[in-house]
Amino acid sequence: MRELFLLLWRSITEDRLATFGVIVVVLLVTVALFAPLLATHDPYAMTERVEGTALWVRGERVSIEEGIAADTLYSVSADGPENYIAAGAGGAVVRYEEGSWSDIETPTTETLRAISAAGGRSITVGHNGTVLWYTDGEFEQVDVPSSADLFGVSLTDDGTALAVGEDGTVLHLDDGRWTVIEVPVARDLTAVALIAPDYGYAVGARGTLLRFNGADFEEVASPTFRDLLNVTFYDRSAGYAVGERGTVLRYRDGEWSEEQGALTRTLRSIAMVSAEEVQVVGTHGDMMRRVDGTWQQVATGYSRHFRGITSDGETTVVVGTDPYINSLARPSADHFFGTTHNGRDIYSQVIHGSRTALLVGFVAAVMVTVIGTNVGLFSGYLRGRTDNVLMRIVDIMYALPLEPFAMVLVLLWRPGIHIIILAVGLLTWRTTARIIRSQVLSLADRPFVKAARIAGASPLRIIYKHIAPNVLPLAFLQLAVAMAFAITAEATLSFLGLGPPRLYSWGTILHQARLSGAWRTAWWWVVPPGLLIMLSVVSVFFISRALEVIANPRLSRR
Amino acid sequence: MARYIVGKLLQMLFTLWVILTVLFFLFRLGLPDPTVALVTDGLSPEDRAIVTERFGLDRSLPMQYVMYLGNVLTGEFGRSFHYNAPVTAIVGERVANTLILMLPAILISYTVGPLLGVLLAWKRGSKLEAGGITTGLVFRSAPMFWVGMLLIMFFGIQLGWFPTSGMRTFPYEAANFFDKIFTLDFLHHLILPTIVISLYYTGLPMLIMRNTMLEVMGEDFIEFAEARGLSKARIMYRHAARNALLPVVTQAAITAGLAVGGQVVVEVVFSWPGLGLEMFNAVRTSDYPLAQAAFMLMATIILLLNFAADIVYGKLDPRVSYSSQGAGV
Repeated sequence: MRELFLLLWRSITEDRLATFGVIVVVLLVTVALFAPLLATHDPYAMTERVEGTALWVRGERVSIEEGIAADTLYSVSADGPENYIAAGAGGAVVRYEEGSWSDIETPTTETLRAISAAGGRSITVGHNGTVLWYTDGEFEQVDVPSSADLFGVSLTDDGTALAVGEDGTVLHLDDGRWTVIEVPVARDLTAVALIAPDYGYAVGARGTLLRFNGADFEEVASPTFRDLLNVTFYDRSAGYAVGERGTVLRYRDGEWSEEQGALTRTLRSIAMVSAEEVQVVGTHGDMMRRVDGTWQQVATGYSRHFRGITSDGETTVVVGTDPYINSLARPSADHFFGTTHNGRDIYSQVIHGSRTALLVGFVAAVMVTVIGTNVGLFSGYLRGRTDNVLMRIVDIMYALPLEPFAMVLVLLWRPGIHIIILAVGLLTWRTTARIIRSQVLSLADRPFVKAARIAGASPLRIIYKHIAPNVLPLAFLQLAVAMAFAITAEATLSFLGLGPPRLYSWGTILHQARLSGAWRTAWWWVVPPGLLIMLSVVSVFFISRALEVIANPRLSRR
Repeated sequence: MARYIVGKLLQMLFTLWVILTVLFFLFRLGLPDPTVALVTDGLSPEDRAIVTERFGLDRSLPMQYVMYLGNVLTGEFGRSFHYNAPVTAIVGERVANTLILMLPAILISYTVGPLLGVLLAWKRGSKLEAGGITTGLVFRSAPMFWVGMLLIMFFGIQLGWFPTSGMRTFPYEAANFFDKIFTLDFLHHLILPTIVISLYYTGLPMLIMRNTMLEVMGEDFIEFAEARGLSKARIMYRHAARNALLPVVTQAAITAGLAVGGQVVVEVVFSWPGLGLEMFNAVRTSDYPLAQAAFMLMATIILLLNFAADIVYGKLDPRVSYSSQGAGV
């Protein structure tokens, strides 16, 4: 036995391809064993992506510009014709100038919730009392007398500003000085609109409406109890506020009234081109427009969350985006092999798939080898009628095509891993049986077998005690070949959708790629699983070639 | 010779009968109510009665079995649920479509493969041999459907050189099967799938040929030929190769069987309207009569191809005595 192992070791280390094969197989087994640790994602989870997006509406034309920022954008403001500035999570600010977006460095990583531009300057506010001034192309952090999260800001041309935030926080900028203004409510204030130093409104949770007169705030009777999320004024007499569940409030000549909008989900932002021309955006790609006194939905064709809007009547820019399904992403540091059409991580699927491939391959191969070797032993030793019957059965097995046979099984029962193992195991022992049989035929006439027979050993004893050990190397070789075949068969059958639907294997991944139709372009979905099938099968082939020298000593003589 | 052929023929019919029987009981085992397998839901009571009568569904199991064999013999496989047409009418052309894709590809494999095998044996110990063996094994390891997907992606979509599905560009008019395939358009559609199948199957005959060649090259008649001063190429291809062909022919018979099954994925990937794709669709739509007929036809094709290989084998190898059944292959 020791000698056999030494021989095995020598023949594998001497053959470079076999060495390669052994390394690959060991690696694959390791991967399969530690799959949950190696996978970076849950293979079933639809991964999401957060990315700042701009939606452009020019007349009737709607287009989306993806990836203008690395994270969600919360607010956008126009700081000139065809000039926009937007702020978002992680202290990100992007500016649109001369037809393209560019990042602007800021001295903070806090989430910036609102930005307001006026008179060539901008001010942006965010979490933990963050306030940034943007002048002469540079951001500068401002110390303010509050560390509350700020949600809204409004800047006028002459440099006065209001910022509002959590628990009724209001900051007032006048003559270059920030002061805290006490307000009669302690609820979160979400937005503010200041159109003149002495005229503005703030809105907040539970329908809060606060009027600003230049010095302090006064609560106004509100027609709603729903959270208000934004407010905008066109002039002193015309304004709008929006909020949860499609709430739209209209301000006209001192009166707030509720208006019937065209949407029912959360509304986030308003753009007023004139007292009557108003656009509103919200979650899930919602957008609506006020035409001739009634609200009409605008089909954007996108389902991402919109956060901010600004419009000059001709061009409308919407920014936003919350997590959305990361569909068909190319390979990246996040997803080594990219994602599927519903945002599943292909790398993790492939890692998990190695378990199914190796398990099915091994179980089926053992089944094939056990059946095939036994049939070969009995057929070759007993000869005569047994041999004839068994070999006829082998002939019949050769006439049954594997894939269609598995399909019939699936048609009659249900797709599953057992069907695949059963189909491969029941059909493909034929080759092993033939090969073992011919070996046994030559062994049966050897003196040691004859001696055993004369000594009165039973056929069973002779077969298992005397002949079987001699065909063992050949059986192991056949195990390797059967394993290679079983891995391919599993992949093929799973590719045809005959495998278990909720269990990933390399074939299943390719099956889903084919079903989705995306495989024609998404090469990252197709290449990795197939490559692994090829790699594992070819490795087993390489190893079996080295084993052949041991199993078939005739070859080594040359 | 005649006895040998008749023997093989009888053997083939016996095998076919066993397969039919297995299939019958497999269907009865999987579907305890056989009417489900033969009668589609929307059928009127009268039609249902006709089918029940024709297949003897109201009789005992042995009687049903006998009627089933009779129906198969007369080509009566029932009506396809999906097409609502006799199964025989549907599968007829599919068989031709499958064969026209499979046979050329196998032919290429078993022509190119052995020729390359001779070359590898000739250049024994060279880099060419090592590279050839590795390449052959690699192509044998790559699943056909995957290679098909890659080729479609690259040559079909990216470069746009080849059509990516079907046998012909729609719309087309063809009076009959030959009208359909004797066109450049058809050849254009045939190229990619043929490459896929050939690449996969070329490796095996190549490696087998090389191995047998190495054995044959040690024999006396090769030394005689060398002593007679014949050119190396002549010795290799005329003398040695001819004697090394037998195992390749044996393998060709087995490959034909594997190819009929392996064909399914190629047809699915290339939407080739053959028997395999039809079977695939039948399984998806639970079209029992169609699936059953398609499976039987595939088994029949394999048996016929094996039979053909047996005949060729008998012709090639004088050692095969026609009187024996030649059980050991």
